[in-house]
Amino acid sequence: MSPRPVAETEIQRILALVPWIVGHPGTTKDAIARRFGISVAQLERDLALVCMIGVPPYSPGDYLDVEEGPQGEVTIRMADTFRRPLRLSPAEGLALLAAGRALLAVPGSDPDGPLATALGKLERALGVPDLVVEVARPPHLDAVRDAVARHERVEIDYWSAGRDELATRRIDPAVVFFALGAWYVGAYCHRAGAERMFRVDRIRALRPTGERFTPPETRLGPGEVYSPAPGDARVTLRLAPAAAWVAEHHPTESVTERPDGHLDVVLTVSERGWLERLLLRLGDDAAVLEPPQWRDAAAEAARRVLARYTGGPDEPRIRGRRAEG
Amino acid sequence: MADAPSRVERVLNLLALLLDTRVPLTRDEIVREVSGYPPQQSAYRRAFERDKEILRGMGVPITTRPVGDAGETGYIVHPDDYYLPDLGLTPEETAALRVAVGAVSLGSGAGEGALMKLGGAVAGAGTPIASLPLVPALATLFEAFRRRAVVTFRHRGASRTVEPWGLTSKRGHWYLVGWDRDRGAIRAFRADRIEGDVEVGPAGGFDPPADFRPDDHVEDRPWMLGDDEPVTVRLLVDADHADRALELLRGDAKTVTRPDGAVEVEVTVTNRAAFRSVVLDLLDHAVVCSPPDVRDDVVAWLERIAAR
Repeated sequence: MSPRPVAETEIQRILALVPWIVGHPGTTKDAIARRFGISVAQLERDLALVCMIGVPPYSPGDYLDVEEGPQGEVTIRMADTFRRPLRLSPAEGLALLAAGRALLAVPGSDPDGPLATALGKLERALGVPDLVVEVARPPHLDAVRDAVARHERVEIDYWSAGRDELATRRIDPAVVFFALGAWYVGAYCHRAGAERMFRVDRIRALRPTGERFTPPETRLGPGEVYSPAPGDARVTLRLAPAAAWVAEHHPTESVTERPDGHLDVVLTVSERGWLERLLLRLGDDAAVLEPPQWRDAAAEAARRVLARYTGGPDEPRIRGRRAEG
Repeated sequence: MADAPSRVERVLNLLALLLDTRVPLTRDEIVREVSGYPPQQSAYRRAFERDKEILRGMGVPITTRPVGDAGETGYIVHPDDYYLPDLGLTPEETAALRVAVGAVSLGSGAGEGALMKLGGAVAGAGTPIASLPLVPALATLFEAFRRRAVVTFRHRGASRTVEPWGLTSKRGHWYLVGWDRDRGAIRAFRADRIEGDVEVGPAGGFDPPADFRPDDHVEDRPWMLGDDEPVTVRLLVDADHADRALELLRGDAKTVTRPDGAVEVEVTVTNRAAFRSVVLDLLDHAVVCSPPDVRDDVVAWLERIAAR
């Protein structure tokens, strides 16, 4: 095992700590540790190391001098070499701007607040373009975020892509976030009797219930958009090279490359409708290997769609609104 | 302390020396000054190489120059290259950046590293509200823009030479937008579709136009990403799925609602294969009415699948 990552993290932290303390003399160890997200014990180890840094001719006055007051106030002297932190790497500059621009694009952010002015200063100092981050704003987003903040149970009319149906559900919205280009709300669904992830842009209507719920300990978060449920089916697909993107764009359990360039991927599928869409789109570039009862899923779905085309080009049979008439 | 100096201590002293020196120093000079290097030549050479690599890996700009009659390699870090310029951020602005890095997950520790240099760690609730993973090519493209350097890369199997004019994130994807020199036009490239390394040309290779808005040039409607003859397609969608159809077509459609609730949708298409994918996403809730060749194309596609 290489010791490099640990050493690097320590070095980077010390190179950041020293100039900050130089610029804020007399700050207590507690406050410094809190600010940098480390323990006081770690800070003390770092400061002990700082005393060992010097420049030629390495006489006593050539070492960084750390002094500690009675209340733990820290002052560093003789630190001219490290008076400024290391400049930002391209990845760091990009990350700051990307995070800042993304948060600023979230509805409700103050477009003229300190974040906006900070990003303007960063962009000017680094001489970089204005990164434009677009974050969607589906119609019911504000209502969902309010419900999360107030712990209010809501009733939604929701279109489920997997089930291909519009249904009314009562949900306790716990967390809302933007991932993979869409807003999601993680909620306890009373219809399913379990936590579920809903896409906010698929909420057709939202009604407050006036009921409050106790916020649960939720595991749902931006990384959980596709978290498979225990009962989900495992499906093995054989993908032609032209359909290899499927393995990149959907979480897979395994990917095996075959000598002819085809991929065998195993993925979890919660709803048949989702798989049907994927298979119809891929056509000859995909085939279901397992489970056997889904091998004909594409052909069956294709026949169902084809049935809609039998009424002639100008008057295809099309269903009206079911709720009416 | 009587203990042998730690690796971290040795590297920090190496950096202090390189920042402090007025003239480039050779490896032997450095090893004589900085304590903690092993005495044997082969061992200290290896140790020095590793330390140098650590510093360079962190982004420390180590400059080399031949020194002495023998032209030995000399090393120095110019303070102007090393020091972060004063960004003039107020405490409120720094605090806002600390919240932003905590609120937006980018799939790397780079934001946290940047915050350290600005004096602090992530602040706020700790649960991200948004996730916009950065792919590795983006940092290279970002730096290329900063240096106004032309980039060359492979994208969807073709080599592209592009003046990077901007980066933008749309629908969860990052795009490079710029002047495609081979095609003589502004083009957008999905950053996650860039294959292999990005080659960066010399600095100062172009002048980007002022007030360029990269998001104006990203075509994120797949059915318009093609060179097919533009054709107006008429689609009939079941009442219950009209919202879904408009979601898929991103409002890029003319619609007429029939008395029975079904919706007629008109949309312009320049990539028929991509359009077929959109229609099929609606399964048996939508039918292509016209033109006949687009309708026939969908039917033929389905018949081939149905016959398997």
